[in-house]
Amino acid sequence: MTIRRVLIANRGEIAVRIVRACRDAGLESIAVYSDADRHAVHVRAADRALRIGPPAPADSYLSIDALLEAAARSGADAVHPGYGFLSERAEFARACEQAGLVFVGPPADVIEQMGSKIAARALMQKAGVPVVPGQTPADQSDDGLLAAARAVGYPVLIKASAGGGGKGMRVVQSDQEARELVPAARRESAAAFGDGTLYVERVIARPRHVEIQVFADTHGHVVHLFERECSIQRRHQKVIEESPSPALTPALRARMGDAAVAAARASGYRNAGTIEFLVEGRGDDARFYFLEMNTRLQVEHPVTEAVTGVDLVQAQLLVAAGAPLPWTQASLSTRGHAIECRIYAEDPGHGFLPQAGPLLLYREPSGPGIRVDAGVEEGSTVDVHYDPMLAKLVVSAETRPAAIARLRAALRRYPVLGIRTNIPFLLRLIDLPEFAAGDLHTGFIDEHRGALLRSGAPSPVALAAAALAGTAARAAGVSPAAVPDPWSQTTGWGR
Amino acid sequence: MATRRVTLRLGDRDHAIDVLEDGPTEAEVVVDGESVRLARDGSLWRSEGDVRGPAWAIADGARRWVYHDGCVYELELQEDGRRRPAAAQGSLAAPMPATVRQIRVAAGDRVHRGDTLLILEAMKMELPVRAEADGTVNAVHCREGELVQPGRPLIDIGPADGA
Repeated sequence: MTIRRVLIANRGEIAVRIVRACRDAGLESIAVYSDADRHAVHVRAADRALRIGPPAPADSYLSIDALLEAAARSGADAVHPGYGFLSERAEFARACEQAGLVFVGPPADVIEQMGSKIAARALMQKAGVPVVPGQTPADQSDDGLLAAARAVGYPVLIKASAGGGGKGMRVVQSDQEARELVPAARRESAAAFGDGTLYVERVIARPRHVEIQVFADTHGHVVHLFERECSIQRRHQKVIEESPSPALTPALRARMGDAAVAAARASGYRNAGTIEFLVEGRGDDARFYFLEMNTRLQVEHPVTEAVTGVDLVQAQLLVAAGAPLPWTQASLSTRGHAIECRIYAEDPGHGFLPQAGPLLLYREPSGPGIRVDAGVEEGSTVDVHYDPMLAKLVVSAETRPAAIARLRAALRRYPVLGIRTNIPFLLRLIDLPEFAAGDLHTGFIDEHRGALLRSGAPSPVALAAAALAGTAARAAGVSPAAVPDPWSQTTGWGR
Repeated sequence: MATRRVTLRLGDRDHAIDVLEDGPTEAEVVVDGESVRLARDGSLWRSEGDVRGPAWAIADGARRWVYHDGCVYELELQEDGRRRPAAAQGSLAAPMPATVRQIRVAAGDRVHRGDTLLILEAMKMELPVRAEADGTVNAVHCREGELVQPGRPLIDIGPADGA
C-alpha cells in the first residue's frame, strides 16, 4: 500500500502538526475547513485545502459525508483523523476503509471495542491488566444510573461511555447529586460524541494519571514508548503533561510498560495508541489501574517525541502504509525531561470561562529545547464553535528542574493579548513548591486553587507600557524600521 | 514636551501615569511618583535593568492590554474624568458568544440568588447563568438554540414582589 496524498480530517494545531509530518515524509497534505476557518493557519499550511461546510462541527469536522466527499474530490488515498472530532468513531474508520481510503489509525473494530468502556474493561481483565471498579448500567434512565452509582459506591465518576477528553464527566458524591448531574452529563456526552450512554466508576483517592504510549504495526510488532504523567488536570482536561513521570520507579515503569503492551496485543491494536492508567501510592509497590485506551494520536504526543527523539506522526503514516515499525523495544530509550503546557483561551480569574475573539498580539517563545505547536497566529480569531486550546508549549532539558526553569522563561516570553489565556495561571502553577517536588495528583489544581488564582497589582513598567500603548502604532509607523524585527511587526489589529 | 496625564482603571482602582516624553523609540513616564524610562520597539517595551524582562502592550479602543512579569492586565483608559456607565442593574448578559441550551424560567417567575436561570453552551461546555439576587423575572430576551453575542441581555430580573 502506498500513500501519496493525505486528507487531514481536523483543524487547529494538530492539523498543522500532521501537515508538517506529511511534508517531512514527502507526502501531499490536504486540509479541510469550515467557513469559520477559511483563513486559519492549518488551511494555509497544507498543500491544498477544501471547504467542508458551515462552522458548526456537526456540519463540517464531524460530517463523515462531507469529509469523504472532500477525500474523493482531492484524490486523497489516506485520511488522518488527528484527535477529537471523528478520531475515535469506528463508523468513520469503517467508512474510510469502505471508500478505499487508508485510515491512519487502528482498525474500526478495535476502535469500537476500546471505545466501549464495558468491552475495553472486559478485554483488559482477560489480558491480566488491573481495572478500576465500575459499570455501564444496561438501564440508562436516571433511576438506572442512580442504582449503578449506589452499587459501585460513592464517590463515583459519571462519564460518557463513548469518548475521552473529560467531556460530560461528573464526580458525584450522593444520590441527590446523581439526580442533579446525570442529565447534564448525558447532554454533554450526546453533544460531544453523539452518544449519551453513561458509565459509572469508583473514584480513586489522590490518584496520578500516568499513561503509556504504545505503537503496533501490521507485522505483529508491539512496542511502548514509556510514560507521560498527566496528573495536572482541571475538570478532567489535561493542562500539563511530562515525561518521565516524577513518580515512576524503574520497576513500576517496566510493569506498566509490559501491561500496556499486553493490552495493545490483546486488542489486536495497530498504529499509535495510549493506555491511560490511574496510579495509587508510591514507589515500587504503587498500584495502577487501566482507565481507558485512546485509539488515536494524543494531544500530548510531543512530550514523548522530545524524550525519545522519534516522530510519532511520521511513524503513524509509515505503519498505515503497511511498513514495519521503525523501532524495536530495545532501540527505544529516553533522555532528559520534557514538559508540555496547554495554552487555553480561558479566563482563570472568572471561572475559567472560555474566551473568544481576536488575538491582537500573539508572540511565541523560541530557543533551544522549546517547541510550540500552534493552530493560531497573531490576528487569528478564536471561534466559539471549537475547543479553546490555542497551542501547546513543549520544553525539554537535561533534568526536570532544568525543564521547569526553561518552561518558566518561555512562558514569560509568550505574550498573548486581546483575549485571556491561562499563561499567568500556568506560571503560578509551575512555581508551586509542590509542583517542583513532583507531588502531583489529579486534584492538584483544586487543592491549590487559592494560590493559583491570586493576582497582584501591575508593575510600574506594565502601567507605563499600557499608558503609552495607544501611541505605539503611530510611533512604529514613522520609525525607520530598516531591519525587519519580529518584535515590531505591525498587525493591523487594535489600532 | 508638555506633560500629559493618562488615567488607567483596573478593577475599581485608577492609576495615574504622567507622560513626560513619548518619542518613537524612547519614552519617560512617572507612575506613582516613580520615574520609568522605556525603550520602545513596536508593541515591546524594555526598561533598562529590569530583570523581569520586557512588557508587551497594545491598545484596543479604550482598552489597554499589557503582559509583563508573567501577568496580564486589562486596563480601561479613563478620559476627562468621564466614567463608563455600569451595566444595567438586574439585566443578565451573555459573558461570551454561546448557544442558549436551556431556559429554566419564564417571565413572572420568582427566583432566588444562586438559582440557575438558563444554561449556555460554548466550546463544548455548559455554562450556567445564575441569579445574582432574589427577584422576579421581568422578561426573557432569548430563545433556546439561539446563538447569543457577549453583552447581549438575556434575562431581566426585577425586585422580588412586595420588596
